[in-house]
Amino acid sequence: MTYHFSFGFILDYWSALLVGLATTLKLTVVCVVLGMLLGFALSLMRMSENRLIYAIGSLYVEFFRGTPVLIQIFWIFFCLPLVLHVEIGSLASAIIALSLYMGAISCETFRAAMKAIAREQHDACVALGLAPLAKITHVVFPQTILRAIPTLLSNTVSLFKESSLVSAVGMSDLLYVGQNIATRTFHPVEILTTVAFIYFVIAFPLTRAVTIVEQRLLRKIEA
Amino acid sequence: MNYHLNFFFVFRDFDKLLDGLVVTLQLTVLANAIGLTLGFGVALLVMSPIRVIRWPATAFVEFFRCTPALIQIVWFFYCVPILFNVFLDAITMGVLALGLNLTAFNAEAYRAAIQAIPRAQFDASVALGLSWRARILHVVFPQALRLALPVLISNAIGLFQQSALVSLVAVADLMYQAKTMSTQTYRPIETFTIAAVIYLAISFPVGQLAAYFERRNASRLAG
Repeated sequence: MTYHFSFGFILDYWSALLVGLATTLKLTVVCVVLGMLLGFALSLMRMSENRLIYAIGSLYVEFFRGTPVLIQIFWIFFCLPLVLHVEIGSLASAIIALSLYMGAISCETFRAAMKAIAREQHDACVALGLAPLAKITHVVFPQTILRAIPTLLSNTVSLFKESSLVSAVGMSDLLYVGQNIATRTFHPVEILTTVAFIYFVIAFPLTRAVTIVEQRLLRKIEA
Repeated sequence: MNYHLNFFFVFRDFDKLLDGLVVTLQLTVLANAIGLTLGFGVALLVMSPIRVIRWPATAFVEFFRCTPALIQIVWFFYCVPILFNVFLDAITMGVLALGLNLTAFNAEAYRAAIQAIPRAQFDASVALGLSWRARILHVVFPQALRLALPVLISNAIGLFQQSALVSLVAVADLMYQAKTMSTQTYRPIETFTIAAVIYLAISFPVGQLAAYFERRNASRLAG
């Protein structure tokens, strides 16, 4: 059995791959935004002194961090419609599943960032007689966001990669399109390598950005 | 449309899920054996002063870290038989794909740990006239392992969860059995929930272990 390489045919399918990539990118952006909002709310829940609120937040985070993302996507895709008695398309279930997952991992990011705020800052708020709301919006929130940025960025990279799982429930993202072309043309090596390379070209600069942002922020916070 | 929860089918065929769990655990343990050993080797290569060694190792690490695990697995299953004309059984392929992925992530963990070893330790090994091998095996490795342990454990949990991806290329792991059972019995809610709980029941305690080691490391560094 000999396999003849031909990369030329990829050009014919280039536009299909780009459409798949656009789906992947849109999905990533939407879920990152929704997931971060959810994550911030969850982190406040996990810092709460009310036991019940704390327990709900913790249970949520442990569950989503402790089970495979694939099973979460399958659960939302196959089970949620049965529970809610409504039709949910693959796009909606993909957005729900990935946002819930992003919420869980970002919650931990925000919580770690909040914990890193120095004790003196809290003491200073008391000494200045700041109202609790003012303390959260003007002292806690800005510093938390600043410290959380590098990890949030790498969460984004993770989500970009995890988004390839939605191909398993039939959503035509980059990987799904690639696999389709691979089976149609009988050239899996070239096409799957190209698809992997496209993912790499986007994820790699982002991981570099994480390192650069991290160093800059560290300098800023320490100064 | 009313859905009545009925766990009968899941418990009737519970040993199928357990068979799947055994495969999942096999994949996890073997891939970790690869990741823990090769990862250290690759970390040394990445830190090598010689460019010809450093660059390919860095490219390997970055490529595996910046592309989705799913495409690595799909690539492995489609392309390795074509390119190298080898036909291994599905579990071996799964172990190799997951093991190489983990190698890249563990290499980063080891690298960070090696960089955290105090400079004086290296000077001392030179002063004691330790051979290169003795230095790596008896000075660098034990300390790197201890410092990297929390990250290595959470990578291991991550891999345990990522191993669910091999179900998409028809390896009969826990996820695969759950999927098959849910289509055979039309009971997606029960099967996927039970499968998710099994995953959680394993990754949660191990996650607590990682958190314990992290606290211990932090108090050691502080003390």
